[in-house]
Amino acid sequence: MEWVTGEGDEAVMSIYPMRCQHCEYPVCVEVCPTGANQQSENGIVWIDQNKCVGCRYCVVSCPYQARTFNTGNKENFPGRGLTGFEKAGKRLYPHQAGTAEKCNFCKERIEAGLARGLKPGTDREATPACVNTCPARVMTFGDLDDPCSKVSELIGEKEGVQLHTEYGTNPSIYYIDSKIGAGYMEILELIGLEEEFGLVYRYSSVPSTNDVGEKTGVTR
Amino acid sequence: MKAHEWMISYTRQSEWIDRRGLFLWLAFYFGGLGGGLYLVSLYFNSLWGMFISWLIILVLKGGSHFLFLGKPLRFWQMVRRPHTSWLARGLLFVLLFTVFAAIQLCFSLWLPGTAGEIVFKVLAGLMAFAVAIYTGFVMNGFKAIPFWNSALLPVLFFLCGVLGGLGLYTIIALGNGQINIAAETASRWLLIINALLIVIYLWRATCRGQTGKQSVVEQIRGQFAPVFWAGVITMGIIIPVVIAFASYFAGEASAVLLVTGVGCEITGGLSLRYCILKAGAYRPLLKLSGI
Repeated sequence: MEWVTGEGDEAVMSIYPMRCQHCEYPVCVEVCPTGANQQSENGIVWIDQNKCVGCRYCVVSCPYQARTFNTGNKENFPGRGLTGFEKAGKRLYPHQAGTAEKCNFCKERIEAGLARGLKPGTDREATPACVNTCPARVMTFGDLDDPCSKVSELIGEKEGVQLHTEYGTNPSIYYIDSKIGAGYMEILELIGLEEEFGLVYRYSSVPSTNDVGEKTGVTR
Repeated sequence: MKAHEWMISYTRQSEWIDRRGLFLWLAFYFGGLGGGLYLVSLYFNSLWGMFISWLIILVLKGGSHFLFLGKPLRFWQMVRRPHTSWLARGLLFVLLFTVFAAIQLCFSLWLPGTAGEIVFKVLAGLMAFAVAIYTGFVMNGFKAIPFWNSALLPVLFFLCGVLGGLGLYTIIALGNGQINIAAETASRWLLIINALLIVIYLWRATCRGQTGKQSVVEQIRGQFAPVFWAGVITMGIIIPVVIAFASYFAGEASAVLLVTGVGCEITGGLSLRYCILKAGAYRPLLKLSGI
């Protein structure tokens, strides 16, 4: 997600990774008519491609617009075919045309790592690929239930913000950026719900910082 | 919308109306029309009307829905899980309707007046009501799309279906050389109620935050305005109302005018669903800039 603030020489573009929020109470799982959308015990929301009927109910119901429908002719660079990474990805992950898709936090990778006794977020083999490969190292992954985990500490210290808390989904992704906190506050003021979300008030008073990051957690 | 404003301002849903989503729009409309026609035909005891509504729901509604699905052969997984969502329940209603109505038609043809006919008329009638109304429940459950998140939506869709059903029934009666005065009178009143309901629905949508208001603005003077004014208002309300009242005051109506009025009603119903599906938008994730 890209967001331009300011004008002219003072224009600043902020870029935020926007993916499935792996909500504690996921709307997509609730509405899925076939049971293809599921939630693992560790909190990861994933799609069983072999059960998905392609009705796009989950795609439309997701308040974070974090899902896409695989139409079968997905070419991210039109007319130039698949990149090497995309070809490798296709071998590793069996996409099915006509079904919904989204980030699954590299579920297979995490489960394989956990089976080997590794710790997600600490050991690379048990951590999502995006977190491992991000060149700016803006993402942190870990256990939200563990108050001593790095993600819990970061959320406490830098006051991480969840998106659209008013839907009661309790997303597992937290954004660390005062700009998001302030922008979010505006939305709540406009819809007249700010009184019900005292927590967001707190975020709005966070001083501006250049520290932009994302914290994610899987275990609840 | 500029590329960098993606998710920061009003974002329209597209999966249920663009590209193959057009089939869902048709499926939703034909569900309402078929259900409405069956209920009207049941009231006026028109066997042809019941048969045509059965065909509409089985072929047009069911067929469009199948064409919309990415993996249509897995539809049975939806039928098995009616507790999950209105979409699954809706498919079950369609299947049950086609079975009950087929049995009822057989009874009506070969064993009329028996208890079996009455039982299956009641069962098929209940399913027709469910098929006509469920699409409203499918859509009004989306909290993230304020324009759809309204209790009025099922009522509006159901009424629109009954209105289309009354129109089709009038044509069927006309084909049999009759003009049904009761159907025409009901049509007139429903047209007025429908118009009022559309106004109330749009007015209530403006009270659901900036995104709801923006959806209404898009309808009235935005990119969907031509469909809204030409399809929903002119074809769906004004022309049928003028024809209905002209026939009321003149004491008679020509067959051509009646068929034109019904054609306009159906176009209006299709336009209404199109506009509502098209204008459904998400609240911005971060900031309501430029709205």
